[in-house]
Formats: sequence, structure tokens, C-alpha cells
Amino acid sequence: MARSGRPRLIRVDQIAILLLCVYRTLALCSRQRTLTAMNTASALRAVYRPALRQNSPICDFLLPSFTHSQSRKEYASVTTSSASPKTEPAPETLNSRSTAKRRRPLSTEQQQFLDSALRVNQAGELAATLIYTHQTLPITRRHPHLRPLMHHMYSQEAGHFSTFNAMLTRHRVRPTAMYPIWTAAASTLGWVTGLMGREAAMACTEAVETEIGGHYNGQVRVLLSWVKQMEEKGEEVGEEMRELVDTLKRVRDEELEHLDEAVGEGAKEARPYELLNRAIRSGCKGAIWISEKV
Amino acid sequence: MVNLKPCHAALKPSSCVKSKPCRRLYHSYEHERPPPFVPAESRILSAALSHVPTHGFATAALTQGARDAGYLDVSTNLFPTGPFSIVNYHLVTQRLALAKDAPSTNNNPNNISENIRTLALRRLHANKPIIHRWQEALSLMTTPTHLPTSLRELALLSDEFLFLAGSTDVTSTWYTNRAGLAAIYASAELYMTTDMSKDFVETEEFLTRRLEEGEKIKGLVGSVGAWAGMQASGLVDGLRSKGIWI
Repeated sequence: MARSGRPRLIRVDQIAILLLCVYRTLALCSRQRTLTAMNTASALRAVYRPALRQNSPICDFLLPSFTHSQSRKEYASVTTSSASPKTEPAPETLNSRSTAKRRRPLSTEQQQFLDSALRVNQAGELAATLIYTHQTLPITRRHPHLRPLMHHMYSQEAGHFSTFNAMLTRHRVRPTAMYPIWTAAASTLGWVTGLMGREAAMACTEAVETEIGGHYNGQVRVLLSWVKQMEEKGEEVGEEMRELVDTLKRVRDEELEHLDEAVGEGAKEARPYELLNRAIRSGCKGAIWISEKV
Repeated sequence: MVNLKPCHAALKPSSCVKSKPCRRLYHSYEHERPPPFVPAESRILSAALSHVPTHGFATAALTQGARDAGYLDVSTNLFPTGPFSIVNYHLVTQRLALAKDAPSTNNNPNNISENIRTLALRRLHANKPIIHRWQEALSLMTTPTHLPTSLRELALLSDEFLFLAGSTDVTSTWYTNRAGLAAIYASAELYMTTDMSKDFVETEEFLTRRLEEGEKIKGLVGSVGAWAGMQASGLVDGLRSKGIWI
């Protein structure tokens, strides 16, 4: 956030927003006492984000940052990022058209990272396609105007799924052993949220896409750090790495687009929004963590 | 007179035999995988393998191999697993050799079962020079110390067959295909040790029959699954047409 040099006076509407946020935080905490500090922190951040956009020193004082770098270890290594698009590094080597091979082979850690990353991505796209398949019928029955949107989101997810299937075959990555379980879980989730209504279905999409978008973002971040290391050593990046980064960026952007569309169609109006959001996001986090290992 | 080199000068224990990487790795097309054995080990073990028809999978073959490669007899101490290291060397090198001859199987990329059969036969024929000693190798492989390594090699071999044959399944059938093929190959290899026919034609027929049975079972399971799925969705659609909200 950019800050001006001199502090500004507090406005009445800023105070109102702050009081509203404090009230919502208390309501949140009383309903969900079992949240860990980390979940509270991210919940608070989500609640305070509109207030944080106002430039005021009071915001810094009342709402200090709850996150610290150690907290990221609680999550699977491929998840979480809160960088905005403008701050994303765009190294020149990724735009070069040279067909020279990468100078040195990937290290064992890098290969293991790519192995689990691609496995998780495939599992995620499998779940997404199944959720949309099972949500479409109940939703379009009641809201025929949503048919084009559901079809558009489904076809993009199906495209991602076939992309990752091809990558798994080509790079000899094994799929997750939990495949049948994720199939059952995702189908049930899609079906149940579809029957609960448009808002619930959109809230489910929002929760899943938040997790998946953050997760892809983390992977892009790791890959860009590798590219940066190669650039610093003056090594050729290679076609494979370029394609990988491009694919992941494209998929991440499309997932975040779905997130925006879901929010636009009334995701936040679902009842019970907080429960659905929390439960589905926790489920996604757990599924991501398991799929990396199993 | 063989030039006897001091063993400590050139030999380093290979990480492969002792501690294989437990996790699979992303396969990159831009670089070759590093060779599984260090050059010195590779020389000793390939020389030892050439003595297996006469001495069998025993320390004698290993000692002869060390001598042929120009090392002292005592350098066999660098192979703590003993004769099993020759077995392991044979398994690993023959599996990697499949990929080198792979282009010839891509004549019919659409017929995956035919490709699997060709690859499995090629791998079985690679056992021909030492097949009369293979039962010793099998007994070494099934000892509790070496069983995990042997099973891992079998799994890797099965994966190699399916990858080179052009299989593109990445659903849960990835696991069932590999498990089934591993079982079929292991049974064919065991059969081959008792096969006295000319050029192992009976083993070939055995393998063909097992592969066909495997295909039939896969087709049966697939059909039953499809039938159950269609029945379930038919039921759900029928109830929906009656107005029940599901």
C-alpha cells in the first residue's frame, strides 16, 4: 500500500468501518472459538481488507499485521501467497524465444517439488471438474440464466484437467492414490452445494478457487525464484521451464477469474457463508497436503 | 599379468545400491538421468555378470569380476549386499536398456497391449544367458533384506513397460495397470526358469495368455463399473423427472 508522507486526519466513515470490523471480529471469534491463531489472522485480514485500503495511521496502530514468516510452515509448501499482480516478477528470460537447453539439470529437490506440484494440480482440477459437473444441473434448473457461466467455468476446468493429465503422462508423474476418494468427495460437495442453492454453490466455488488460486500462486512464485537463480548465474532457462511457468500462470489467472465470477454471482450472500467458506477451505488445504504426499 | 589397482583409489560406494531415492522424480527431457552406478562399480558388476553362467550368483562370480576389472579380490567388500548386487545390476541395466530400443515399439502407437507384449518379451529374452541360474537370483531377491529393493525394481519395470508402450492413463487405473502387469511379468519370469522349450516359445505363449486374461479382467471391471454408474444416474434422473428434488 502506498503511503503519503504526512498523516491524514481520521474521517467519520473510517471510524464507522473500523467499528464494524471490530464487531464482526468479535462475532466471528465467538462463533468459532476453535480457530487457530493463523486462521484468525487470515480471517481478520479478510475482514479488514476494505479498511486497510484507507490510508490512515490509525489503521496501522489498531490493526497490526498478525502474520509472520514462521506461520507459513504450518501450510503445505506449495500454498499461500498474497502478492498482487503488479508485484509479480516478469524476468526477461521467460520472454526469450531461444530453443537452447537448460544449462544444468534440475536438482533432486526441484524434481521432487515438480513431482508433487503436478500431482496436486491434477487432483485439484479433477475435483473442480466434478464439482461443476454435479452443481450444474440443480443450479441451471432454478437459474437458467447461469447456464452459460457454468458451462464456461466447466469447460475451462476441463481444459486445465486435460493439460495436467498430459503433463503427468509426459513427465512420468504418478497421480494421487486418493483419486477415488477425491472423486467421491468432490462429487458429493458439488451435489450438496448445488442443492443448497445458487449462493451456496457460488460460495463453494469461491472457497475452492481461493485455495486453488493461492496454491498456484505459490507454485509460480517458487518457479520464478528458480528462474531468477538461473538468470543470476547467467544460465539458459530452457523451453521446459518457460512452458511450465506460462501454463501455471495462465491456469492461476483463470482460476482467479472464476473466483471473481463466483463472488459476483452472490457467493457472499450464502447462509451459512462463514461455515461453508471455512469448512471448504480447510478441506481443500487438507486435500492439497495429502495429495502432495500420497 | 593383471594390473591390480589399490581398491581405495578409485572405488566409491554408489548411492544406488545402498539408499535409492524413495520418491519418484519429475522426468525432464532436457537432460539425461545420471547413470545408476559409478563407473568402477559398473565395470566390476558387468564383469561379474559375465561369470554368472559358470559360477552362479555367488561371491565367486563377484571375485572373478573384480579380478577381470583389475581390482583386488578384497574390493568385493564394497558390495555389502554380496551377490545380490549382481542381481540388482542386471535388473537395473536391463530395465534402462528397454528405453534405448523403445523406438522400435512405436510402430503401432495405438496398440498399447501389443507394445506391452513386445517389451515384456524383450525383457524376458534378456534373461536368456543366465536363465539357468535365475532361480538363485529369485531366492536372493526374496530374502527379507532384499525384498523391498526387488519389489521396487519390479514396480519400476512395470512402470517402464507402460510408459514405453504409450499408456496415457493417469486415473486410479494407473495403479491397477502397474500392479497387474507386475504380477503377470513376475509369473512369466518364474515360468521361464522351468521352461525347456526351444527359444522359450512356451514362455511366450504363457505371457500372451496371461496378458489376454489381464485385458479381459480389466474390461470386465470397467464394464461392471460403467453399468453400475449408468444404473445410478438412470435412477437419479428418473427420480428427478418425478419431481423429487435431488
